[in-house]
Amino acid sequence: MQITEAGSGRAPTKPASRRGVLAVELGDLELANPVMPASGCFGPDLAALTPVDTLGAVVTKTVFAETRPGNRTHRLTEVPGGMLNSVGIPSGGIAEFRRTGLGGYAGLGTPVVVSIGGLSAREYWRVADELGECGHSAIEVNVSCPNLEHGGATLDTDLRAMCEVVSGVVVRSAAPVLVKLSPQLHSIAAAARAAEDAGAAAVTVCNSFPGMAVNVERRESALGNDTGGLSGPAVKPLALRLVRSAAQAVDIPVVGCGGIGSATDVAEFLVAGASAVQVGTATFAQPGVMARIVEELPALTERLGVDRIADLVGTLTPSDRRIGNEQR
Amino acid sequence: MSSAAALRVLTGDRGRPMCERAPVVVNAPLSDRYRLLRFRSAAIAVRARAGQFVMVAPVTASAPVLPRPMAIYTRNAEAGLVDIVYGVVGDGTKALAEVAAGEELQVTGPLGRGFVIRDRVERILLVGRGVGICAMTTVAQDLAETPAQVTAVLSGRNRDAVLGGEVLGACGADVLTVTDADGSSAVDALRGRLLRAFDEDPPQQILTSGSERLTRLVAELGVRWAADTQVSVEAHMACGLGYCHGCAVGDGDGTSESPLVCRDGPVFGLRG
Repeated sequence: MQITEAGSGRAPTKPASRRGVLAVELGDLELANPVMPASGCFGPDLAALTPVDTLGAVVTKTVFAETRPGNRTHRLTEVPGGMLNSVGIPSGGIAEFRRTGLGGYAGLGTPVVVSIGGLSAREYWRVADELGECGHSAIEVNVSCPNLEHGGATLDTDLRAMCEVVSGVVVRSAAPVLVKLSPQLHSIAAAARAAEDAGAAAVTVCNSFPGMAVNVERRESALGNDTGGLSGPAVKPLALRLVRSAAQAVDIPVVGCGGIGSATDVAEFLVAGASAVQVGTATFAQPGVMARIVEELPALTERLGVDRIADLVGTLTPSDRRIGNEQR
Repeated sequence: MSSAAALRVLTGDRGRPMCERAPVVVNAPLSDRYRLLRFRSAAIAVRARAGQFVMVAPVTASAPVLPRPMAIYTRNAEAGLVDIVYGVVGDGTKALAEVAAGEELQVTGPLGRGFVIRDRVERILLVGRGVGICAMTTVAQDLAETPAQVTAVLSGRNRDAVLGGEVLGACGADVLTVTDADGSSAVDALRGRLLRAFDEDPPQQILTSGSERLTRLVAELGVRWAADTQVSVEAHMACGLGYCHGCAVGDGDGTSESPLVCRDGPVFGLRG
């Protein structure tokens, strides 16, 4: 606090409420704090273990139009600094999702972001149509699904196809639409701009990184599906760079995701340009990690000398304007 | 692991799990191959049903990313203590071995569906191999004060790789140790021995864990003796609760991912 007050010359103000200090906005969506789970790394079951009503939002596992079984076993393997998964997004389908109260996410006491997927534009739109107004606060379009109408590559590798899907979801949704981009794009900036042009309220950067692990004894991949998505602390530097690139390219907010496991990690993503964050792999080992981060954020906000955590967003000093560089 | 087609989801109650940072009381070698870790958790010690498991993770910054599923070896509700047994086989268990007594361990549990033991079961046979034996010791704990006759067949490469004999013996079980070293663990030899021992007076229930070959033998004996058979299954897991879908066994024909080992198991009924 002192740093801000001294630097700005403002009179000391009454401390904002804790909610106010941590509040962030994703377009029209106001969140009590910037912390939410990454899709697939959270379940309503966790409410029995740790407070979830203190989170900024919860994000559901990606829901498809119909039931899908996901990939064959083995679906998980640990690698240094992270994990690889080839779970393959099993889904009970949108009808069951509605029947079970947003898959059990309704009633957790925090805004629900519904992650939707599809193997074709029509499937995404059908999920959005059938979701209707279900009490959810936002939709997150998972555009890292293989697109069967375009040769099976992930949807966001074809920006025109992605725009078609996203704009179709935006038209169908009263709630704000986030677009979760994959990291393996020619230009994350171009993809983020495309999502913005298609009407997205925010972009999530990013999904897991394609990777693999090899068992040399068996001459096999460690995963049943050969390749999978890398997540965890190992990807944090990669994700930070992508968040910065995306945030510089668009006016809509960026939700940062990749290896976050502490309050300091959250601040790093905010400084790099994210307005909110998603926590994924860290929850597996520490089911209460998100609640703990939310508890720690007010003190960190104060230590970093800002009144509100949102004041950190995009405050990374460009290298050519660093004081050290000027002196040289 | 047994193929999904042979697994039947049981109706055991999963109960209510909790997560906490539990103080480690003991973390020491149990034998050349295995270590015993005892942590203090009154809630888990009281709630844990036979055959349930916990997810454990060191809380240090350098710890591996994923927690490890561990069968509950013994629990002492009065003292609020829970024991797990593990072999140091990879980075996860190596990190676990480095947690000192007095330090904390992130623990989630009790998890999963345990063994379903019939009321007034008269004879029950436990057949386990290696660290798999540790999934069944809690059954003997529960039956210690009952008239049930518990027989435990403990298999391992050698005597040092056989666990649980003392715990099971203290619970009143008859313990039979078989090893690869002396050839007594060979399936044919074991089958002959069990037929001689039980053919006239077979057990009503047979439980197994730790070996596919032994699981097949148990399934075969279950059919012969019209006994209920259950297996505790191991799998790679991330969440232990079901939301990550990492431990799906699949139904074998690619149309369903169920069952999940963590949520629907780890104990399943065996179809004969």
